[in-house]
Amino acid sequence: MNAFPAYTSVPARRTLATPQAAVRPSVRETAFVGSKSLQPPPKPQKGVFPHGVREYVSRAFAEENSVSGIEKSMIEEKLKEIINDASTHGIMNTLDWDNHPLPQHIIQQELVSSSPRHERSPWQETASLSLNLDATHNAFANATTSNKKRKSFETDPVQNDNGDESTPPWRKAAKKNGFEDRITFANQAAAERMEKRMRKFHGGKLDESSKLPATLEKRRQRFETGKAGHPSPFSPRDATPASDIPEGPVVGTCQDLEKGYLRLTEPPRPETVRPLPVLRKTLDLLKMKWKNENNYSYICDQFKSLRQDLTVQHIKNDFTVVAYEIHARIALEKGDLGEYNQCQTQLRALYKQKLGGHPAEFLAYRILYFIYTCSRTDMNDVLADLTPTDKTQPSVKHALEVRSSLALGNYHKFFQLYLDTPNMGAYIMDMFVVRERLAALATMCRAYKQDVKIRFLTEELGFESDQECVQFLCENGAPQQLFEEKDDGVRFLTAKVGSIFETAKAAAFR
Amino acid sequence: MDTVLYEFRTAIRTSNASLLASTITPAPPAHDPGRLYAILRSTNSYSIEADVRYGLMQNNREISLTKARSAAWLDVYIAYYKVVVVLLDAEEKTNQGKLLEADWNRVYEAWKELVTTLIKGFNAGHFEGWTTPCLYVAVRCLREFAIKADEANTRTKGAITFNSGLQDDVVGALDKNDKLEDAARVINRIFGLCISDRASLDESRKWGVYYITNMMFKTYFKLNSISLSKNILRSLNATASDLPNFALFPKSHQVTFNYYVGVVSFLDEDYTRAESHLAAAHRLCPAVPFAHKNRALILTYLIPCRLLTTHVLPTPSLLAPYPGLQQLFGPLSACVRRGDLAGFDAALVAGEADFVKRRIYLTLERGRDVAVRNLFRKVFLAGGFEPVKDGQGGEAERLRRTRIPLAEFAAAVRVGTRADAREGGAGEGGLEQDEVECMLANLIYKNLMKGYISRAHGMVVLSKAGAFPGTGV
Repeated sequence: MNAFPAYTSVPARRTLATPQAAVRPSVRETAFVGSKSLQPPPKPQKGVFPHGVREYVSRAFAEENSVSGIEKSMIEEKLKEIINDASTHGIMNTLDWDNHPLPQHIIQQELVSSSPRHERSPWQETASLSLNLDATHNAFANATTSNKKRKSFETDPVQNDNGDESTPPWRKAAKKNGFEDRITFANQAAAERMEKRMRKFHGGKLDESSKLPATLEKRRQRFETGKAGHPSPFSPRDATPASDIPEGPVVGTCQDLEKGYLRLTEPPRPETVRPLPVLRKTLDLLKMKWKNENNYSYICDQFKSLRQDLTVQHIKNDFTVVAYEIHARIALEKGDLGEYNQCQTQLRALYKQKLGGHPAEFLAYRILYFIYTCSRTDMNDVLADLTPTDKTQPSVKHALEVRSSLALGNYHKFFQLYLDTPNMGAYIMDMFVVRERLAALATMCRAYKQDVKIRFLTEELGFESDQECVQFLCENGAPQQLFEEKDDGVRFLTAKVGSIFETAKAAAFR
Repeated sequence: MDTVLYEFRTAIRTSNASLLASTITPAPPAHDPGRLYAILRSTNSYSIEADVRYGLMQNNREISLTKARSAAWLDVYIAYYKVVVVLLDAEEKTNQGKLLEADWNRVYEAWKELVTTLIKGFNAGHFEGWTTPCLYVAVRCLREFAIKADEANTRTKGAITFNSGLQDDVVGALDKNDKLEDAARVINRIFGLCISDRASLDESRKWGVYYITNMMFKTYFKLNSISLSKNILRSLNATASDLPNFALFPKSHQVTFNYYVGVVSFLDEDYTRAESHLAAAHRLCPAVPFAHKNRALILTYLIPCRLLTTHVLPTPSLLAPYPGLQQLFGPLSACVRRGDLAGFDAALVAGEADFVKRRIYLTLERGRDVAVRNLFRKVFLAGGFEPVKDGQGGEAERLRRTRIPLAEFAAAVRVGTRADAREGGAGEGGLEQDEVECMLANLIYKNLMKGYISRAHGMVVLSKAGAFPGTGV
């Protein structure tokens, strides 16, 4: 598919922009929202400089900050450039003006650019300093849109050639003018990573069309997702794995609604990842397909790829919750515990972020699940985390009553609860209802002498019909002679059962 | 640093393990509160090596360490100095309220460096068996610093990590305890270091095994991965024959070990084993003020344990010295004794938070059976005696009434749960009757009551001899 031309310049621009932005996603976002919405160039904003900027300017001209050998006109020039830059990128209010290097210091640094460190920054050719400043200034003056401004960097032979992107511009000791020497305080490694990532995203096949609304939308969304809750893409944790794993979110460009799941072994390519609007449509499609076709292996595969797309794009919002909830419910319905548990774990963390959804419903499932697994440690942990509000939720209350009825051996109450389970809890209860029936039978057969009516067992053990009850008894080893036909119905000779159900119970709980 | 090295020489000369351990403790001794700052001032990271080397060599004659040994100690004290530097920095920032700046990760890493140095020294045979208590300090502080580092990390980064790599799902890990988990691995190495020592018993690190094991338990409990404790127990069992007699270990090691094994079995629902270990811990733990807390801890698990195994409730005199336990178990056991089901349920709800925190809720809950038993026993006693028949002896041989209508038990349950007051007399609705039968069936099944239910006659037929085992009737 024909792609998004202006991106070619975006990587260059971003890398060169104060890489501080890398650790401050909000800055990044505003910067690009600003450029994409094509706000009029800096001029109109000039009148309303924030306080920080005014302070900065006054500091620049303050006597105590003057540096010998740098003239006031040079400082003026530089200042204009810095402020223009900030304004066009919309970081006027977000830039840390208090700690921003003063223009004279920047100029000074340019002048003394002889340390090896500077080799990385191609743009400080001392000799042509004033010329450079002029050039940049002119570039700005002429620029009507930020896109054009980016263009100004494309004149660089290295970058012009899309095919040659494997060599970052700063690796080449190209003669380069610019104002990015402000980077002096920046983290070069971060900038490199950022650049690397950008290259990955765009794969070098972008051309001119970035003003198309769709593209803009996509781009906006990219930065939104970047912001969505990953405070620091460069946290130390991320730094440990292989360095070529992209640290930030991928931004998908894929428009297909359906996509099979494939485990990632390398960074995902944007053209195979679906952005949020597409995923929303995907979810609707999957819901419909599940209703109509009920093909679990297909649905599960699709959901896994959907989850993967959400993950690589760092999308964590109400939609994420909905997607996981639906997958969890479907997995539950189909008894796919592995998938269900994965979703449940994710949901737990997502609920903690307060993204909406149905925390009570899934808390109830969790409790029921721990009843199923008989894990007292986990159960204790769940109980410890319960809040008074949780306990008032009908589904949680039900699950807790199920738990306590089983703990006390109150099969009577348990099977009543079983027949009245909210949501999809019955799918979990189905998993342990058989063994609880056996346990109840073992108890009853020990306690009731002579016989009981089948009707009584049917009611106590939550069977649908007497027939189902008899079938269950037979399947679990009750021989024919234990049933006795009487005037008022069939009776079960509990006194002669012996250890049939005791054995079956032991086997069921193992 | 001079004081530390002076004490080091004294400790080595006199083989004084606790003094030696105190010289690498990252806290000032009581008699010298300014010690850590003195160390910080006495030298700097540039000359520390020379200083310590000089301190060790200078008076080497009096302690005559081999070159390798003194080099090993040199490394230890250099590591110790580094700990002091970062520790004081972190403490200062904490004291100034700059919690986010205090770098406990750095403290942890520095201390881990020291621990690693110690392990290396022990592995290479530079440190003798009697110096094992240095490992105690190492392990104790490693755990403390790890916990502090994790707390600090949670403060700064939040408890949930989100995936950013090639994962399929959004969320990475919950409840991060990176450092403590790391510490657990280090402690495990030290455990191995102690248990696999081949030196003769009087010179063996094996004497440290239970101390390290206890710290291991403590760490696993904190990490909420109690099941890992079983691995430790397994390797202890495997080497049991090589270990010195358990009774010869310091009492404090014995008590703590018994306590943890008891609690692990308790959580495993192996109440018999739990009871024997907890009882042993209780027996060994001296009834003195400084051990008060430990005795209370032991009783916290021993009491619910006994409730289930032998249906024994704590006497008021047992609880008297411990107001905490009194509050915890007092109301509950009174209700069990009375057979007051409503009171029991209320007490369980009231104490739920505390019970759950101590992981005894699920066990205490089962005490309700005993309460029900006591209630039904009252029904039985209230039922009086069968009419005396001819040819029978006197009062002593009178038989209690053993055929009791189900309705009487149902009435008792209604009284016990105060159902009448709540629902304005729910009547003898079939449902309630069934639930009462269910309670009876459970008691019979669990052998708390002997007899059977006859549905046909609506009767409970109790055993003529010992209808309620263990209660005298």
